Amino acid sequence: MTVTVPMTPELLLPPASPVTLLDPTGRAVPGDDHGLPGDDVLLALYRMMVLGRRFDTQATALTKQGRLAVYPSARGQEACQIGAVLALRAQDWLFPTYRDSMAVTARGVDPVQVLTLLRGDWHSGYDPYQHRVAPQCTPLATNALHGVGLARAAAIKGEDTVALVMLGDGATSEGDTHAALNFAAVWKSPVVFLIQNNGYAISVPLDKQTAAPSLAHKGIGYGIPATVVDGNDAAAVYAVVRRAVTSAAAGTGPVLIEALTYRMEAHTNADDATRYRSAGEVDGWLARDPVTRLREHLRDRGLLDEAAIAAVDAEAEAQAAALRQRMTTETRPDPDDLFRYVYAEPTRELRRQQRELAAELGRAR
Amino acid sequence: MPAFVLPDLGEGLTEAEIVSWHVQVGDVVAVDQDVVEVETAKAVVEIPVPFAGRVAELHASPGDLLAVGAPLITVSDDRTGSVADGESGAVLIGYGTPDARHRRQRPSRNGPPLPRTEQPSRPPGRVAVVSPIVRRLARNAGLDLAALSGSGPDGLVTRQDVERAIAARSAGAEQVVRIPLQGIRKIMADKLSRSRREIPEATVWVDADATELLRLRATLNADDAEPRISLLALLSRFAVLGLRRHPELNAKVEDDTIVMGASVHLGFAAQTDRGLLVPVIPDAQACTVEQLSAALADYTLRARKGTLGPADLTGGTFTINNYGVFGVDGSAAIINHPEVAILGIGRIIERPWIVDGQLVARHLTQLTLAFDHRVCDGQAAGGFLRFIADCVESPARILRYL
Amino acid sequence: MTAIAEHRGLATGSVVTMASALNQALSDSLGEDDSVLVFGEDVGTLGGVFRITDGLATEFGQTRVFDTPLSESGIVGTAIGMAMNGLRPVVEMQFDAFAYPAFEQITSHLAKLRNRTRGRVELPIVIRIPYGGGIGGVEHHCDSSEAYYTHTPGLRVVTPATPADAYVLLRQAISSPDPVIFLEPKRRYWSKETVCQQHGDIAMDRALVRRPGTDVTLIAYGGALATALEAAEAAEEDGRSAEVIDLRSLSPFDDETVTASVKRTGRAIVVHEASRFCGYGAEVAARLSEQCFHYLEAPVLRVAGFDIPYPPPHLEEYHLPSVGRILDAIDALQWQETAALAEVAG
Repeated sequence: MTVTVPMTPELLLPPASPVTLLDPTGRAVPGDDHGLPGDDVLLALYRMMVLGRRFDTQATALTKQGRLAVYPSARGQEACQIGAVLALRAQDWLFPTYRDSMAVTARGVDPVQVLTLLRGDWHSGYDPYQHRVAPQCTPLATNALHGVGLARAAAIKGEDTVALVMLGDGATSEGDTHAALNFAAVWKSPVVFLIQNNGYAISVPLDKQTAAPSLAHKGIGYGIPATVVDGNDAAAVYAVVRRAVTSAAAGTGPVLIEALTYRMEAHTNADDATRYRSAGEVDGWLARDPVTRLREHLRDRGLLDEAAIAAVDAEAEAQAAALRQRMTTETRPDPDDLFRYVYAEPTRELRRQQRELAAELGRAR
Repeated sequence: MPAFVLPDLGEGLTEAEIVSWHVQVGDVVAVDQDVVEVETAKAVVEIPVPFAGRVAELHASPGDLLAVGAPLITVSDDRTGSVADGESGAVLIGYGTPDARHRRQRPSRNGPPLPRTEQPSRPPGRVAVVSPIVRRLARNAGLDLAALSGSGPDGLVTRQDVERAIAARSAGAEQVVRIPLQGIRKIMADKLSRSRREIPEATVWVDADATELLRLRATLNADDAEPRISLLALLSRFAVLGLRRHPELNAKVEDDTIVMGASVHLGFAAQTDRGLLVPVIPDAQACTVEQLSAALADYTLRARKGTLGPADLTGGTFTINNYGVFGVDGSAAIINHPEVAILGIGRIIERPWIVDGQLVARHLTQLTLAFDHRVCDGQAAGGFLRFIADCVESPARILRYL
Repeated sequence: MTAIAEHRGLATGSVVTMASALNQALSDSLGEDDSVLVFGEDVGTLGGVFRITDGLATEFGQTRVFDTPLSESGIVGTAIGMAMNGLRPVVEMQFDAFAYPAFEQITSHLAKLRNRTRGRVELPIVIRIPYGGGIGGVEHHCDSSEAYYTHTPGLRVVTPATPADAYVLLRQAISSPDPVIFLEPKRRYWSKETVCQQHGDIAMDRALVRRPGTDVTLIAYGGALATALEAAEAAEEDGRSAEVIDLRSLSPFDDETVTASVKRTGRAIVVHEASRFCGYGAEVAARLSEQCFHYLEAPVLRVAGFDIPYPPPHLEEYHLPSVGRILDAIDALQWQETAALAEVAG
């Protein structure tokens, strides 16, 4: 007879301080029972963060050049974006928000496909099933329920799949977050909820968003174990998400993770962040930069030398140049596509409307 | 105010020399506007600025060598300089209000309105009426819509149909039959109008004693040989012989040119239910009287049946017209454009005639020739007609010309 | 959409209620396709507040037929995730108005995910919603919200009016690759029908002429169909022959069947419980005006609920379309316009 330890309420509460494996200077912090990830993982984390950041800044530049309609940047949140995605297995699913383009590209989706939405050519540019990434969209927290449902279906089918649901601090106020946490817990679904708490929902700060002692504290209300992690410590994020994925996959139910981080750019390019936060606050977070932190750690340990750093930077530059190049090609979305995908087969009325538009465009030529 | 640095120009190039600036401090620049020309080891390139606004500072001068990544130009974020009046510029979630330039052209209004998906055709017993107002109009006038023929598509009864019906009834007018001038009728009508318009026509006529001709014909038809020899066939043969002597009458006028051919493609007027038709017997000059008889009969039958094709009705060079069948003597016929002459024969009846000084009853007929006076004069026309008359009066004489 | 080859669970000649027909349809679908799930509030152990899912949890187990926490948004949102992973959820919103919390999931995702992903994501989900009044229900239990769904591109909206058709339509809806809002007229759950083969299997997007006629076309659906048929019978006694059409599919709309009828009769009335302003009837009237204008003897009329929140039980009868109101509307169709001219002359 196996004896299972019942999950007492205390065990559900997050720890007193966030899980940290590397301090802001890159020095290893001892004492946490999450071991530091292996060297190969750390190097992979570093490389992917550099690539991810370069992708992010390139996308911001493209927006300034009018090549994208909008770009919600995740600069500053690289540790969450990369740490979480690298902790997933190939068979797992990612449910991103509109800010998680970096994570989506890290998962393997072609950056040009990722940017299709923001360019305005279509609502989503990639096949979700190819890399197991749900489409990005504007509504917040609705993706959480989709993740819970997908994970539940996997369990019903007997498949080993974990759904990683991304949420922001603002999204935790939406009703669908509540419903998703509740359903996931009742069903014991293999779902990991990752809240990237970057302190702001556009301009609304955390203290206007919740009165909870922390967002992780919400877990206990659903019977979900929760933890808090330093969201700018890629090693810690990786370790925490990895452990959560493993336990969810083992059938112990969902896990809630709150990662503390900061959004270095404004909400999007058209937002003026100086209206609601101070330069001093932004600078304070610069000192806690996630990429710098890991680089210093790896450099100190001799796992990275200048040549290696330069090589990664060059790789990032090359990718950015390739992206620029590919994004300069003029695209012409086909108006016929407006009618093609509304139903499995276009209805009679849709076919009529398609002909109407085609005739109108034909006459206009 | 961010400075735009010299970007990576590709292919491992690390520096470039400023050749010339296209802008100066204070200028307003737009995104992607070319602001500077630089020369690298490989080429001269234009560099577009990725920001819009007012140029605040140029960080290098022509001739300077600049490293990739060094500041190139600083542009202040002056939104009013870059966003046109009334436009929003970029908004939080999208490109913003569209530039008037990129707005799709309004489609032209040519072409028919787009049809709806196929609808079942008009159900029996239901009358399609263009609008309820028209329905009421008909009703107030006591008109049965079902009795009207609609002139709209698919028999749609239009306002005009109803108003016409009302007017026709109130005017007390009798039923007017409308026959459109179309098809073969129209072609003929156009041709006749054109003849009148273009051809300066003159006519000569002569009375001829056809008694001998009638006797000859009776002799020819005394046995059972087929085909029966017709008067028109005989006259046609005379005409062919006459045209040999006066070839200018077997011609057509094309663009100020008289075109004369050796062949006589003989047209003859045939009256049918559908109006006047002029079938053409090709190469009549090569036909015997028998052949002419057969051809005339065949073409006439086909004309009445309506089985003649366009080839049968075109290409004529001379026309012969037996209006005598209508019981009249003379006719100033209309030349069959683009021919130059038309020969006509009237009815043959007994009239008083002088033969050898004695007054006797003879079978007389009137022959007429209408001709294009541009092409021939009275001598030719008269000569031709006289010849025909001689043949009619003394048919045996044509043995001279066979 | 494939038509169901036979009413497998409905024996010809048997008498069924709409509730039992729906139950049979769910059972047959669960039995034939392992990917079908049925869930919602109280649908499992209880068998549904209207017993539509009675016995299904016992027969197919709690993994396939189960109760969820009380969250409509959660029901629809997780159904979307399940469909993304290859299952075919058939979920229930307990009452029409209770679906409103799920409205975002329905309109922002259920209706749009296929289009958003250019067809890679298919959501073969059925949302069953008991709708309409006529059961003396208190507030929030009698709404007719079909117009919100028909106005959302990407959704199919169907509504059976009779028991046998409820079986056919539900099985077709479950088989459809598109998301279907399945509106069940709750006042007809207990209506009975003897099953016969007469109208076999029409496609899910087709309307049905329930009663042929020559003078006027009554267009109805769901709970109002029976009222329209009753009115047609009464009109017959007045010497007016009414053709009654059961729309069945609200989105897409069967232009061909309806316009063929209206062109024959020249007069049309739409009957629905939902309030008139911007109600479903407005779309039907607009379409008939566009497509049948030249054949109309009178304007297209609508007999609908008033533009008020649904009344309390004791005032409900004044709101719902009644036989009398339909007959009044028929009388208002300008019959003098087509009376014999001789009569007018007098």
